[in-house]
Amino acid sequence: MTAPPLANLINEFTKLPGVGGKSAARLAYAILKRPAAEAEALAAAILEVKAKIFRCSTCNNMTDVDPCAICTDARRDPSLICVVEEAFNIPTIEQTRDYKGMFHVLLGALSPLKGVGPQDIDVAGLVRRVRSGSIREVIIATNPNVEGEATALYIAQQLRPLGVRTTRLAFGLPVGGDLEYADQVTMAKALEGRREI
Amino acid sequence: MILASVTANNFRNLEPDPITFHAQTNLVVGRNGQGKTNLLEAIYFLATTKSFRTPRLANVVRFEQPSVFVSGALQRQRIEKALSIGVEAAESRRRVLMVNEESVSLHDYLAAMSVFAYSAARLEILRGAPEERRRFLDRGVASINPAYLQDLIRYARVLRQRNALLQSGSHGSLEAWDAEFAISAAAVQRARAAYADELSAAFAEIVARHGYHIRDLRMTYRPSGVDDPARVRRLEIRARTSLAGPQRDNIEFAIDGRNAAEVLSGGEQKMIVLLLKFAKLELFRRRHGESALFLLDDLDAELDLEILQNLLTRLPSETQLFATSAKEPVVGALQSGPHRRLVIEKGRVIDSRDFS
Ligand SMILES: [Zn+2]
Repeated sequence: MTAPPLANLINEFTKLPGVGGKSAARLAYAILKRPAAEAEALAAAILEVKAKIFRCSTCNNMTDVDPCAICTDARRDPSLICVVEEAFNIPTIEQTRDYKGMFHVLLGALSPLKGVGPQDIDVAGLVRRVRSGSIREVIIATNPNVEGEATALYIAQQLRPLGVRTTRLAFGLPVGGDLEYADQVTMAKALEGRREI
Repeated sequence: MILASVTANNFRNLEPDPITFHAQTNLVVGRNGQGKTNLLEAIYFLATTKSFRTPRLANVVRFEQPSVFVSGALQRQRIEKALSIGVEAAESRRRVLMVNEESVSLHDYLAAMSVFAYSAARLEILRGAPEERRRFLDRGVASINPAYLQDLIRYARVLRQRNALLQSGSHGSLEAWDAEFAISAAAVQRARAAYADELSAAFAEIVARHGYHIRDLRMTYRPSGVDDPARVRRLEIRARTSLAGPQRDNIEFAIDGRNAAEVLSGGEQKMIVLLLKFAKLELFRRRHGESALFLLDDLDAELDLEILQNLLTRLPSETQLFATSAKEPVVGALQSGPHRRLVIEKGRVIDSRDFS
């Protein structure tokens, strides 16, 4: 039988995405083997991230200052907003170095099967930003799967009365893909070839 | 494409010895219950990862064995391919698909080998629920356009999402899901309609060429569409489910406007299904410039043997055929050209002889 403190740690690891029972055990045993100082540093980093990182009140990006570093970057074009499902999609767009606008993180995608409706993602915040600012274009970069496409259509419908140019990334990817796995070249092409919806 | 050999491990009663085949016609004979159909089923399984007899794959695994494994050597345009498929019987249903000893995706695996099967169970195409006919059509579309499977998967996902939304009773995003539903439904129905057109034309040609007495049989694709979207939407909100779309498509087989399943005798129905299979095979050959494998399971004497013989002699010579029958006259009709006769007993080929 695994000692309770060890079993406890393994159990905590399995709650993380992509970590199965075996990987969780491997991680826990690796931590046991290493010096105590490393474990303390890891625990401190986890606590610090929870204490100091929060969502930007403008764009929902993860940040330690409000508004976030992207929202306050004077070199960026404030009239462009790229809409993504999750904060971890931002680096995927950033890696192309072609995009110099702002972001808006939805915090998910529409999925009736999971009980996620329009009120559960931050479309209202996006609409507010478009209304209050001088936005030239909204680029919708939700995932190229069924849920991402429906979310894109929903956003386009909400923005239509506001008269803002609304575009969708052009993916050469098969449907069912995930933004997370798009490489730099694919992403740059998708941005370049974006179309109005 | 030619299947040179197959080896089945724990597949029903088949023994794990390699079985080699004739490049043209293979007649599998033997007493009932010895494994004739099992051999054809193993070939079908190797090509499609499915069975033509049962939706439950656990049924093909030999009693009390943990998994099933079938491998085969395929020649396609002079290139040898080694295919293998392993499936666990347990809850996990873990599946390993390999081409030339490399693990591949389902999509790539299915593209490696193509097979069409006729069996008496396929009469469901005429007699069964519309779902049977949709599946019959979908398999045909996918055989000439493997990317169609992606369209189907996408559509099924949108349908589930839309039904969940209607079920929930809150419709804030219904318009967005409707748009997504319309796009994916149109892709499926466009592909089905195009294939149904080609298939009914090829079918009519075959019927005419062989002078089959039932000439006025019409195959009509009936897509489930919407004339008045606003009205249907209101009904759907009340019913809390989708009421129109590819999930309600049908294909009608009619003679003088009457349902073929009600008008035709059992033997005539078998003949119609057989002719449809020949039509599918022909469409595949036109599209790919090569023939798929053709499995004819449990041919019985109710079929029009003269036409069957005619059909077989007119098949392009590179079409590899596998047929089973327990009926002597049928076996007689099949052995007119060069062929191999495989005698199967207790899951083992005990005699294999070539005739020219
Ligand atoms: Zn921000």
